[in-house]
Amino acid sequence: MAFLSFRDVVYRRGALTILNRVSFDLEPGETLVLLGRSGSGKTTALRLINRLLDADSGLILFDGEDIQHLDPILLRRKIGYVIQEIGLLPHWTVGQNIGLVPTISGWDPTKRDERARELLSQVGLPPGEYMPRYPRALSGGQRQRVGVARALAANPALLLFDEPFGALDPVTRREMQVQFLALRNRYRTPSVFVTHDVAEALALASRIAVLDAGNLEVVATPDEFRNASTPVARSFLDTLKPVHEVH
Amino acid sequence: MDRMVVESLLRDIGVLSLEHLQLVAIASLIAAVLGVGLGVLGTRRPTLRRYSLAFANVMQTVPSLALFGFLIPIPLIGGIGQRTATISLVLYALLPILRNTITGIAGVEPSIREAAVAMGMTNRQLLRHVELPLAAPTILAGLRTAVVATIGTATIAAAIGAGGLGVLIFRGLASVDTLEILAGAVPAALMALAADALMAIAEHRLEIQR
Repeated sequence: MAFLSFRDVVYRRGALTILNRVSFDLEPGETLVLLGRSGSGKTTALRLINRLLDADSGLILFDGEDIQHLDPILLRRKIGYVIQEIGLLPHWTVGQNIGLVPTISGWDPTKRDERARELLSQVGLPPGEYMPRYPRALSGGQRQRVGVARALAANPALLLFDEPFGALDPVTRREMQVQFLALRNRYRTPSVFVTHDVAEALALASRIAVLDAGNLEVVATPDEFRNASTPVARSFLDTLKPVHEVH
Repeated sequence: MDRMVVESLLRDIGVLSLEHLQLVAIASLIAAVLGVGLGVLGTRRPTLRRYSLAFANVMQTVPSLALFGFLIPIPLIGGIGQRTATISLVLYALLPILRNTITGIAGVEPSIREAAVAMGMTNRQLLRHVELPLAAPTILAGLRTAVVATIGTATIAAAIGAGGLGVLIFRGLASVDTLEILAGAVPAALMALAADALMAIAEHRLEIQR
């Protein structure tokens, strides 16, 4: 059974339909990439999953349960969330930031710090050096490593990524993508990953879904997607070619 | 000058300074609790924010001596003495604290708030771990403005029998005694300067922590 399902989900803002009858399934262990242009509704889709927003109609099932029947606070603590702006607490150390969900869920502090150290090493930052640092003393890439570690801290059942590497330089972005794949092999946590970068989608996805003006168009494996013939998929694939080769 | 007169003046300064400090401390404390409390609630309820800000604004616009005058005839809270003075000082100090609490909390970066909420913080945890600590320097700045102003305004409270350093100033004015006026005015000014400096240091400490 799918771990997460959208069934005809509609979300409107005023007269605008942001998501128009969107349906998809996320299977255990897979990474579904939502590929779309700015304003296509992909961030909205993520925010519906952890109930930062609520759908106007349709159904979202989390591990078989309608999320409207779940306590939003407890639901969110089971879902790791990584955003482009990261949103680390500036007055908390790296260790405290990674331990955010354990802290608010009432873990024992020793266990929490142990977990933070373990995760810091896994994202490639030596804990001895980085645990006591404040976010302002980190580079952009290091901050996002901490953001990813924070999302993993309380062993979430699901991970949501909202263009997490979009603001990083290309070299750092590549390092983060490699890191992402390594962590996925370790944890196998089902993930929904939002991006507008088709190369990133092809590199990270188990399957790719394209969102275009609120409509979900293609759900395919990266290999199938490379040969997709729909205009929307083609327009994304064309971005992989040098500008002068595209007609 | 007569040694007896100087000694009695010094004694008066000591006693009245303490009285003044007490009046300011109590009024500031109440204003801080009310201002921060209303400010926090106001960030959750726009209507409350509008009305409480409007109220605090009006209170601060009324000249302080007039405010004392208005309160005197009101039953229960009015009358002559420290209670009336305390209430009007609180009303006076409310605006900067309330306004800075609201500004400080509204100024928390949206991505920080979003991450905290999305990770599953309750409203109370958001306030305690995110909003209040990040707004603290701004709130403290409001408190500083309020305390310094209250030290000044409290001298006028002597007019309605609240005591404090204003007693010396009013007595000096009545008897055209410059020394007595200064005996009230100089300690009050020093008190205001000291409070301002101390709270500036505290504010700075809070800021460099981030």
